[in-house]
Amino acid sequence: MTVLTARDAGLVGCTRCGRVWPEGTAECGRCGARLHPVDGRGLQRVWAWWLAGLIFYIPANLTPMLRTATLTGHQENTILGGVVELVAHGSYFVAAIVFLASIVIPISKFLAIAYLALSVGNERRAGAHPHLHLYEVVEFIGRWSMIDVFVVAILSALVQLGTVASIHPGPAAASFALSVALTMLSAQSFDPRLIWRGPARTTGP
Amino acid sequence: MTDTPEQNAPAELVTSPAPNPIWTRLSVIWLVPLLALAITLGVAWKSYADRGVLIEIDFADATGLHPGETPLKFREVEVGKVETVGFSPDLKSVRVKIRVDKDVAHFIDSEARFWLVRPQVSAQGISRLDTVLSGTFVEGYWDAEPKGEAKLFNGLDKPPITPDPTKGTRVELRAEDAGGLVEGAPVLFRGVTVGRIQNLRLNASDSGVIVDAFIDAPHDKRLTTATRFWDTSGVSVSLGPSGVSLDVRSLASLVQGGIEFDTFATGGSFIQNGFPFRLYPTVEAARGSIFGNDIAEPARYTLLFDDAVQGIERGTKVQFRGVEAGEVSDISIKVETDAQGNRFAQQQIVIALSPERLGLARGSDAQSVTDFLEGEVATGLRARVAGVGILGTTLIIELTDVPDVPNATMNLTNQPYPTIPTTRPKDNDLATSAQGVFKRIDALPIEELMNSAIRALDGVAAVAESEETRAVPGELAGLLEQLRTLTEELNKGGAAEKTLAAIDGVTEAASSVLVEFDGLNETLDSLDKAAQAAAEIPMADIGAKVDGILGDIRAMLGSEGADRLPKALSATLEQSAALLEELRAGGAAEKLNATLVAAQDAASAIGDASDRLPALTAKLESLVTTAEKLVASYGERSAFNAEVLDTMREMRRATAAFGSLARMIERNPRAFILGR
Repeated sequence: MTVLTARDAGLVGCTRCGRVWPEGTAECGRCGARLHPVDGRGLQRVWAWWLAGLIFYIPANLTPMLRTATLTGHQENTILGGVVELVAHGSYFVAAIVFLASIVIPISKFLAIAYLALSVGNERRAGAHPHLHLYEVVEFIGRWSMIDVFVVAILSALVQLGTVASIHPGPAAASFALSVALTMLSAQSFDPRLIWRGPARTTGP
Repeated sequence: MTDTPEQNAPAELVTSPAPNPIWTRLSVIWLVPLLALAITLGVAWKSYADRGVLIEIDFADATGLHPGETPLKFREVEVGKVETVGFSPDLKSVRVKIRVDKDVAHFIDSEARFWLVRPQVSAQGISRLDTVLSGTFVEGYWDAEPKGEAKLFNGLDKPPITPDPTKGTRVELRAEDAGGLVEGAPVLFRGVTVGRIQNLRLNASDSGVIVDAFIDAPHDKRLTTATRFWDTSGVSVSLGPSGVSLDVRSLASLVQGGIEFDTFATGGSFIQNGFPFRLYPTVEAARGSIFGNDIAEPARYTLLFDDAVQGIERGTKVQFRGVEAGEVSDISIKVETDAQGNRFAQQQIVIALSPERLGLARGSDAQSVTDFLEGEVATGLRARVAGVGILGTTLIIELTDVPDVPNATMNLTNQPYPTIPTTRPKDNDLATSAQGVFKRIDALPIEELMNSAIRALDGVAAVAESEETRAVPGELAGLLEQLRTLTEELNKGGAAEKTLAAIDGVTEAASSVLVEFDGLNETLDSLDKAAQAAAEIPMADIGAKVDGILGDIRAMLGSEGADRLPKALSATLEQSAALLEELRAGGAAEKLNATLVAAQDAASAIGDASDRLPALTAKLESLVTTAEKLVASYGERSAFNAEVLDTMREMRRATAAFGSLARMIERNPRAFILGR
C-alpha cells in the first residue's frame, strides 16, 4: 500500500483545520493558523520534554508519595511501597489500579514516545498506521496517569482529622505530577505527520 | 529567462551543506530537561546534605522503639529519627542509632542526656499519657553551648525530673534519714510546689542521707543562705487548746513525702548551684535550730558525768556562757575500770557544738573548735548540768567558767569524741533546790504516810484506851484524894520518916523506869550493830537475820517496851496509893510539902527518861535507813525486798507511834500522869 503524503505532493497541511496549502505558505488562509513545515526540528521538543519528564520520574518513585499520620504512628509510602502494602492488605484491585496508573502507564508512555520519536524517518509507509494508533493511545491515556496524583490530592484534602488521622502529600506527588505533565507535553509536541515522513521518495512513484 | 541550466552547462556546482553547527539546530526547549535535572539534583543533594548526623545511644531495652518511626525530641520538637535498633558489642544493652537534624546536631556534646518517654503512673499522677497513642519516643536534653560533638551516649533509665538545669537551682539537702521521702517528691514553698527532689543517696560515711532538691525558676530566687528546709512528709496531728488539728500538706506529700522551705531570718546571701542545706525533721526544728546550715559536721564532744543525770535527753540545749551553742546528740553509759580494778559507770553525753555560736568562723572544722575549747578549759571552762526556767524543770548542759575547780584538760584521744571536763551541778542553785523539793514532794508516799499515821494514831489510842492507862488518872485522883485526907491527917500528926520512905519509893519507881529505858537503848544499840553486821554478812543470811531482828524489835516494842510502860507506871501509882494509905494510917502531914516536891522530882525523872525517847526514835530511824540502804543494794522488786520493805514500814509505824508517845510525854510529862 502506497501512501501519498502532503509533503510528497509539495503541500503543507494546516495542523489546526487540516486544509493543505502549497509548500511555503506562511499562514493558513482558512483559519489563520501558522503553517509549520514537517521537519525533524519538532523532535527536539519531544525529546526535551520526554527527558525532563523522565528526570522527574526518578524522584517520583524514590521519595514518599503519601505521609499518613494516624493514632498509632505515622507512615511514609513510595508509590511502589504503597502498592506492596495494598497487596499485603489484600486489596488486589486497588493495587492493580495504582500499579497500572502509576507504574505501567507512565513507563509505557516513555517507551512509546521514545519508540515513535526514534522511528521517525525509518518507518515503512505501509507500517505507519499502527504508529498512528500508538500515538493516539498515548495521547489519550497520558492524562490518566494523573490518577495517583488526584488520589493523593483528594486524600490530603479529605483526611485531615488532626491526631486521629491525617494524610499529606510527599515530595513524590509533585515530582510525579510534573513527570506526567511533561510527558503529556512531550506527546503533544510530537507531530504525527512525522510518522508518515519515511523514506518516501525511494518508494514513491 | 535565456539562461537555462540545460544549455549553458556550467561547471559542476559544488555544493556542500552549509555549516550547521549542532548548537544552531538546538532548540531552547532543551533548557527544560536541564532545568529538571538541576532541580532534581538540587533536591537530592540538599536532602543528602541535610541528612543529619548519626548518633548512638545505649538503652537497657528498646521497648516501643521502631526504626524509622520513633522520633528523637528536644523540648517536644522532633529533631531526629531512630534509624536502626541493634545491640552493643557485649549484648548488654540496646544500641539505638538516631539520625539527628543537622541544625541541632552540633549542640549534642558529651553532657547531653537521653531518655525514653513512656506513659508513667506515679503518686504525682499519670504523665505522658500522650505516648500511649503516639508511641514511645526518645527525648534528649542538651544545652546551647557546643563543647565538641559526641557520638555515643548512655541513655538514662528514667526521665530526669528536671531536664533543664538552667531553669532553676539545685541544692543539696542533708538529713539524718530519708524518712518518707521518695524521689520526685515535691518541694513546697508556702504550700506551692516549686520544685522536686531527686537523687536520694547515702552520704559517704553512711551517717545520713543527701538528696538533691531542684527549685524551679523563678522560685529559686527565694533561696538564701538563711533558708531552712524541713520535711513535711506524712500527716501531722497536734493536740492543742483549740482541739485536734490535722495537717496534711498534699496528697502527693502524704504518699511521697515532701520538703518545704522558708527563710525565717534575713541577711542571707544568694546561693550557688549545689549549695548544701540541712534538712530538719519538723518546721519547729527548722525554726529553732541553732545550727543554721552549717555545712561541716558539727564539732562533737563527750561529757562524762559521775552522777546520774536525769532529765537530759537528746536535743537538750547546750549553752556556752549563756548562749545556745549546741545540743545533746547522744546519751549512753560508759563503764570504766579505775586503778583499783573496780568497775564504775559514767554517763556519757555527746554534745554537738556550732562553731558559729562559739564565736568562730562559719564552717570552722572540728579541729579549730577543739583548739578553741582547749584554751577555754585551761582557764576554767567546765561542763555541768544546770536547770533553767522558773522551776528549773528544764535541764541544759552549761559550758561555763567555774571558779575554784581543780585543773583539768580535754582528753583529745577519747573515742569517739574528745572530752570536755565536767563538774558537779550547781547545788546552791535555787532552781535546782526547788526542783529537789518538788522531786521530794513527788516522791513522798502520801498514801502510805496517811496509813501509817492512822495506824500510829490507832496505836496511841489503844495505849490511851488500855485499862492501865485509864486507870492512871483515876488512881491519881484517888491518890490526890488520899493526899488531901492525908494532909488533913498530917495536920494532926507527923509521919516524916514514912513520907521520906514513900518518896524513896517513888524515886525508885522512876529509876526503874529509867533503867528500863536504858535497857531499851542498849537493845537498840545492839540492833544497830546487828544491822551493820547484817550489812556485812553474806546476802543469803541477811533475810533470815533481818527478819529475826525485826521480829525481836517488834516483840520488844509490842510487849516489853511500850506496853509495860503504863503498867509500870500503874504499879508505881498503886504503890504510891498504898503508901499514901499507909501514910494516912500512920499520919505524916508535916512532910507533905517535901513529899510533893519528891513526887515532882519523880515526875521529872520520868520526863528525863522520856527525853531519851526521841533519841531512841532517831536510832530506830537510822536503823531503818541502814536497813533500807541494804535493801536498796539488794535490788528492786525481789520477794525478800518486798517483805523487808513491809517490815520496814511496820517498824517505821511503830517508831512513829513510839515517837508520838514520846513527844507527848516530852511536851508535858504531867499530862501523861494526869491524863491530859
